[in-house]
Amino acid sequence: MRKTIKAAALLGVAALTLAACSSGSGGGTTSPSASGGSTAASPMATGPVTLTMHWWGDQEAPGAKKWLDAAITAYQTAHPNITIKETLETTDGLIPNFEAAAAAKTPLDIQYFWGGIYAQQPHWNGNTAAISDFISADELAHYTNAQMEDSYQGKIVSAPWYVNPSFPVLVNKDLLAKNGLTVPMTWTDFLKTCDTLSAKGIPTIAGGVKDGWFGGWLYSLLGAQSLTSQKQVLDAVVGNAKFTDPALGDWWTRLEESQKHKCWNSDINSQELYQAQQLFVDQKAAMTVTAGPDAPNFATKAGGPDKIEVMAMPAWSDGPLAGKIASSSQTLGIPSWSEHKAEAADFIKFLHTPEQLQAWYDMTGSLPADDRFDLTQVTDPIKKSLFAGGSDNVPYMENFIPAQLDSDAVFKNVQLVLKGSETGAAAAADMQAQMERLRTTDRDLVTNFTNWASGQ
Amino acid sequence: MTDATMTITREPMPPGDRRSSRRPGPWHAALWIAPAAAVIVFVFAYALYQLVIQSFKYKSEWTGWDNFRIVVTDPLFRTALKHNMELLLCVPVLIAVALLLAIVLSETIRGHTFFRGVLFFPYILPVTVVGVVLGQLLTLNGPVNTALNGMGLGKFAADWLGDPNIALWTMGGVIVWKEVGFGIVLFLARILSLPNETYEAAALDGAGFWRKHWSITLPQMTGVIAFYAVTEAIVMVSWVFNYVYIMTNGQGGPGDSTVVTELYIYRSAFQNQQIELAAAAAVILFLITLFLVVIFFRLQRKSLLAVVGE
Amino acid sequence: MAKISSPMARAGSFSRYVLLAVCALSALLPGYIMVTGALKTQDEFLNSPWALPAHPSLTSFATSWSAGLPSWFVNTIIVTAGAVVGVMVLSALAAWGFAYWQFKGRETLLGVIVSLMVVPPVVLLIPLFQFGAQLGWISTFRIVILIYIGLMLPFSIYLLANFFSAIPASLLEAAQIDGASTGAIFRRIVLPLSGPPIATLAVVNILWAWNELLLALVFLQDPEKHTLMVGIASFRGRYSLDIPTVMAGLTLVTLPLVVAYLVGQRFFIQGLTAGGIKGE
Repeated sequence: MRKTIKAAALLGVAALTLAACSSGSGGGTTSPSASGGSTAASPMATGPVTLTMHWWGDQEAPGAKKWLDAAITAYQTAHPNITIKETLETTDGLIPNFEAAAAAKTPLDIQYFWGGIYAQQPHWNGNTAAISDFISADELAHYTNAQMEDSYQGKIVSAPWYVNPSFPVLVNKDLLAKNGLTVPMTWTDFLKTCDTLSAKGIPTIAGGVKDGWFGGWLYSLLGAQSLTSQKQVLDAVVGNAKFTDPALGDWWTRLEESQKHKCWNSDINSQELYQAQQLFVDQKAAMTVTAGPDAPNFATKAGGPDKIEVMAMPAWSDGPLAGKIASSSQTLGIPSWSEHKAEAADFIKFLHTPEQLQAWYDMTGSLPADDRFDLTQVTDPIKKSLFAGGSDNVPYMENFIPAQLDSDAVFKNVQLVLKGSETGAAAAADMQAQMERLRTTDRDLVTNFTNWASGQ
Repeated sequence: MTDATMTITREPMPPGDRRSSRRPGPWHAALWIAPAAAVIVFVFAYALYQLVIQSFKYKSEWTGWDNFRIVVTDPLFRTALKHNMELLLCVPVLIAVALLLAIVLSETIRGHTFFRGVLFFPYILPVTVVGVVLGQLLTLNGPVNTALNGMGLGKFAADWLGDPNIALWTMGGVIVWKEVGFGIVLFLARILSLPNETYEAAALDGAGFWRKHWSITLPQMTGVIAFYAVTEAIVMVSWVFNYVYIMTNGQGGPGDSTVVTELYIYRSAFQNQQIELAAAAAVILFLITLFLVVIFFRLQRKSLLAVVGE
Repeated sequence: MAKISSPMARAGSFSRYVLLAVCALSALLPGYIMVTGALKTQDEFLNSPWALPAHPSLTSFATSWSAGLPSWFVNTIIVTAGAVVGVMVLSALAAWGFAYWQFKGRETLLGVIVSLMVVPPVVLLIPLFQFGAQLGWISTFRIVILIYIGLMLPFSIYLLANFFSAIPASLLEAAQIDGASTGAIFRRIVLPLSGPPIATLAVVNILWAWNELLLALVFLQDPEKHTLMVGIASFRGRYSLDIPTVMAGLTLVTLPLVVAYLVGQRFFIQGLTAGGIKGE
């Protein structure tokens, strides 16, 4: 999920365009052809229809474009009156282009959203129609993470497409073995590894936080371990719990420990994430974290399955979420002003037919977000561990906090803690303070998140 | 086409008096100015008007001073302002460096044009390019630190952009690097226009470099120094967005250490979906700039009088 | 500038050149790193950034070129040309209006317009973006050109009004008495005389429009409409692992500026400092 936050960094265009046209068109029902989402059999147009689709994903799941083009051809053959035009967006352009389209109501029928907050916020802003109005609940029940991330007030707002295991840790077993070490599964082992390797001037784990968003990854990788459910995070957002509570705030102290034990590369604060990951590929660091769908390629570049192992972040807690790779699904949604919602939904459903699911795996090597996909065919050990995590429905916590909290509190404080300028406790306190401030500056936040939490 | 022969046969007009019965009335000026005025009104007046209106609303409802209250009590906004103020401290540095170099250049005959050209060059580069290249140079294990280590000056090596305590000053350094060329050329032009006689007299008196320039050059440069100071102050307050955006990936990091007011506004509007707050912050920034504008205007008044008044 | 050839003066002269050389070096070194970096491999750059490239290679240039540079160039030229032509025409007309006539409030109006030079663009960004979004003009060139013209007008009007007022009254009176219309006077007398200031103003404006980032970033979101500056900003992110390619891209982007500077250094310096020298 490259540059997730940076792209969301332009999310605010939503409000801009919302205010530009005084009332964003409500919950998006120009022609609700299904009643309350109970059935998907909405009448489809018989005349010529053109569907416009904006999406992202080839950047993190190479091969996606080929797959999509083939899927479109197949669908158009089956539905000769429908033409589909797809545009692959840049990371920075994905959200701003959507917001500009929302303001000007330019024709758009299918839009890509990252999961969780990124699919929810556009819906709260009135820019998407709930996908459950057009696809049946039975069908949506097969879509991985739909309920966990994309449900709101009884509806599913956006349809999961493919799974993003968030995020695997890659380990160079050879490098560890050369220094007399084994793969650290627990936090204490991890810190001991750091002590040994840092004495030799080797970074144990490579990372870069200059561009901020690796901090969000760390938040989930370390912060989820002391939680049992994403509800706890939502509670802290609305004010029923605090980010300084032990379950929510102790991970900051773990982060501080990793800095004190010199686990990271010394230039972590002046490197962007992808630059720092090179250290791992160059065999100069023992571990790194990488984007989910891309991990198999990355592992190959770094030496292949004999040398490289995929694991979850070393466990510092014995909670149910520790030691597991979280799962998040990237989604496809329908803009509220689309004039072909039924057709758009039908195409999305088509992408979940068995042939398409299989083709997705064949062409991208990553996991489609559908439990009907046959996992037994996966034999590659790295993919197996990745996909196991992906099907486990372990929540990816970064998707459950407001984007502004992420950038104002998480990114910033991760940078400071890793620099050694701030203690973990102070970081947790700052995150709580930022959340309190955010509840006053974002005047709809509490309502939206309370509604979201009530459906979890 | 208008040539001397024609003017000779005229009776001389009173100098500076442009009024002639043949000239169309002053409202004609409006015709000429109107197109430009229309664009200016749209881009500035309309935009500012909308901005102010929006700063008093929330989702189309009037909310009075709410937005301003929220922005002014936001610690991040105050931090942003503080950082702009800190950048202002770079202005005296700019002036000092530019003065020194301009004076030295004015006394250099051989290579004068070459050095002037080279020293001015950074000023014409796009901030985007400067930001990326210098950002790369200043990474912890980048060329600058490598060179310092290589020259035995390792103790000066630092995490220029990654250390929250110095990142802002590093940014200031980059801005100085780029902006100093402007000052050099400005001051140089002024110095070269100063009469030689005073210098010759001072040389005969045995005045050295420092005394000569302190007593002769500087006093005659107050005008242009003031102009440069105000121009650069305006840069430090309203034109540093590009530097921060490029060199910190739009984060204002590490931590908050390089957040400036323009970045705060940009992020509030385009990142945090809080346009009304962004509008309020923008109004505040505009008012601060207005203060500088008034000073700028007064400085220019003299020259404007020369331009348009008689 | 009296020249005295004493040991003191010669020592002074030596330290002068040292100072100038050091400063000149610091001005040029980033460019050196950029160009040599473009010719190296990633490893070579990271390990020996200051050395000359061992095996100079143009592959990075090819990669960066195919990343979209040609389209960025074209877009930048479209936007720059449109904006600069627009501002030159409008400012010349308006400057003539200010220079030729006396009217009440002329000085104040001109002063206000000139002071608009200092308004931070980010302040105008939000309302103008909303306006553009409502019209569906986001990712069109016309809105960017329009806003660029607006932002460049204050300085341009100021500069030209300055020059036009300095045209000797006698030249103008002659034509007036002959019954020439204001338009004719402008066309046949004023413009031909205005070569130098128009040239320097054109240089200043082209430079400004060429280097502008923020507005282009916000208004030209469609990748097909990206200008050079917007292109590099995102390009740097995409190729963060391939520094030579980034450096190559930057070199290509800077090249036109360097060439123009070498050819017309005079214009750059004159134009950009024109405002300040008048401040005496």
